[in-house]
Amino acid sequence: MTVYKGYLKVMKKNIGLILMYLAIFTGVTVMFQVLSGNDSITNYRAESVKIAVIDDDGGSLAVELKNYLGQCHQVTVTENDRARLQEDLFYRNIEYIIRIPEHFFETCIAEGQKLEVTKVTGSYTAFYVDQQLNSFLNDARVYYTAGFTQEETAAALHGLKSIQVELLDTGGTVGEMPAYGFYFRYLPYLFLSVLCYVMGNVLAAFRRGDLPKRMSASAISARRQSLEGLLAAATMAVILWAVSILGAFAFYGKRLVECGGLPYYLLNSFMMVLTALAISYLVGMLVRGKSAANTLSGIVNVLSLGMCSLCGVFVPLEMMSKGVKTAAHFLPVYWYEVVNNLVAEFGNVTGEIRQTVLQGLGLQLAFVVALVCITLTISKWKKV
Amino acid sequence: MVEIKNLVKRYGNLVALDHLNLQVQEGEIFGLLGPNGSGKTTAINCMLALLAFDRGDIHIFGEEMSPDNYHVKKQIGIVLQNVAVFDELTVYENIDYFCGLYVKDKEQRKRLVEEAVAFVGLEDFQKKRPGKLSGGLLRRLNIACGIAHKPRLIIMDEPTVAVDPQSRNKILEGIQELNRQGSTIIYTSHYMEEVEQICTRIAILDHGRSIAVGTKEELKMMIKTGETITIEAVALTEEQIQMIQGLPHVFAVEYEEQILTVRCTKAKHNLIRILNYLQEQEILFGRVFSELPTLNDVFLEITGKQLRD
Repeated sequence: MTVYKGYLKVMKKNIGLILMYLAIFTGVTVMFQVLSGNDSITNYRAESVKIAVIDDDGGSLAVELKNYLGQCHQVTVTENDRARLQEDLFYRNIEYIIRIPEHFFETCIAEGQKLEVTKVTGSYTAFYVDQQLNSFLNDARVYYTAGFTQEETAAALHGLKSIQVELLDTGGTVGEMPAYGFYFRYLPYLFLSVLCYVMGNVLAAFRRGDLPKRMSASAISARRQSLEGLLAAATMAVILWAVSILGAFAFYGKRLVECGGLPYYLLNSFMMVLTALAISYLVGMLVRGKSAANTLSGIVNVLSLGMCSLCGVFVPLEMMSKGVKTAAHFLPVYWYEVVNNLVAEFGNVTGEIRQTVLQGLGLQLAFVVALVCITLTISKWKKV
Repeated sequence: MVEIKNLVKRYGNLVALDHLNLQVQEGEIFGLLGPNGSGKTTAINCMLALLAFDRGDIHIFGEEMSPDNYHVKKQIGIVLQNVAVFDELTVYENIDYFCGLYVKDKEQRKRLVEEAVAFVGLEDFQKKRPGKLSGGLLRRLNIACGIAHKPRLIIMDEPTVAVDPQSRNKILEGIQELNRQGSTIIYTSHYMEEVEQICTRIAILDHGRSIAVGTKEELKMMIKTGETITIEAVALTEEQIQMIQGLPHVFAVEYEEQILTVRCTKAKHNLIRILNYLQEQEILFGRVFSELPTLNDVFLEITGKQLRD
């Protein structure tokens, strides 16, 4: 295993570069986590709207309506000061105004007239209150139709609960990207940069000057040399993957273990490291000569930054234009990010989502196979 | 030990090796001498099966040489024209790596590497990277990487190119020592002095052909020149030059920039005869040199051009 050990020794000389990239990666991940914060994950609650009520009726049903809305909103009974109310609405001190008219029961329930409301047009909070208000009025009309008086209707509606929202959150992330999701999102940049640089340098070292001649003239067959070289590259990739996974456990520990999507995170990142390895071998194959270091630096930057920018590593996929996303379909990192986003969003991957995840993993594997074929073809062509 | 028969190698229309025939015996330091482009490196590459050839046979240790004849390759060490070591590894690691391509046993390898380090005198530089070594030390490292596994046959392709005289002498002494230790050496160079100094037998190559083979004495016997006399002489007339040309055993005379070069056949008192003539004619002369024929003279007479043209 002399050639294998030789590769590892040359790789070891690039340890400074690897550590630098690990530090950059950790720094970027931590920075994004701090910037994004964790509030969205833990603070879910039903939306509470500031409602002003002008009660010109004061009857039992009007009181019941205020109680009903007050279960989940901030209800303030106010005077009918039109100018002040408009100003409050403008500055969003209140978001919804209800005017309960005189003879509320007779006009709005018995005669079915509309309740006068003022709201911020098009806002989802207004839509939300509209729904609750209509629900209350419809219930009251049902009681009225059944022959209930105002007091009886108010008594019947007394126990009416506001709609309780129950979130089915199997992943524990309330549909948001968890912190470890960000960590896994940036992994392609780490893998691509480190592997392309290191493999590029190593392969360039083995092809420097007359070294290939010396190797070819040696007592070890070319096939064995290639196999040992590939084994060394695989060792490097597995170590890098293991270090990054250990990093994820160190950062997120129990949360990551309990998230439900752990096997998919592991599988997806492993497919990505294989893809990065295949790309790095291809890059290393193309770089040689005296200016190898500069060429390599240029290629790696274009590849890693370009691919990561286009495929949703630095900018979330949902913020990208349709054209960019269509182009990104032809890049393996895109499929990594698709899988990562799904796993991060749903936690426990089942049903149709699982199928999409497996499809993403399969496509990454297809990219690996294609890249290996291209590398072998170029290698053979160069020898001829 | 090495037998090359009718070797032909073409690069398109260019014939790099033109029916080359060579035989190297065990225990020799066999020199391949020729100007740049004469086919020395191509011949070496074919011998090492690094290059496919169009026609001919190469046998080493009695076996046909081929890219997958690892039994033969195991017994060959190569020292290439360009330094071929890893910049990322130290001197010791480099020698250990290349020795490891031939020797599996760890203990044996350790001993061989240490011997190679001592042989090329790099004991004080074992932990240094190649980038920190001077040109001469780098060449020594290049040699150590090629010979550490104690090969039976060592092929050296111009190992002293761009090396200072002190390091060159050290390298040449080392090659002779390797030969004394039992290795057969094939040594290519376009420096005739080196080849003359260390090689027991020499093949002169030109245009991919072997134009003369033999010991240096045998090669020199092949030519007419027995002595070359060079004299600083002032203002010789055409008539005087003709007279010198007519002296016994003189067969060529050149006069350029007040330097008179006279080539004589193998005979006694050539120098005295010429100096007597100059005195008789009252021609003023300064420094006088007399040289025995060199391999350059051999090459010059056979091809009509200088080795370094």
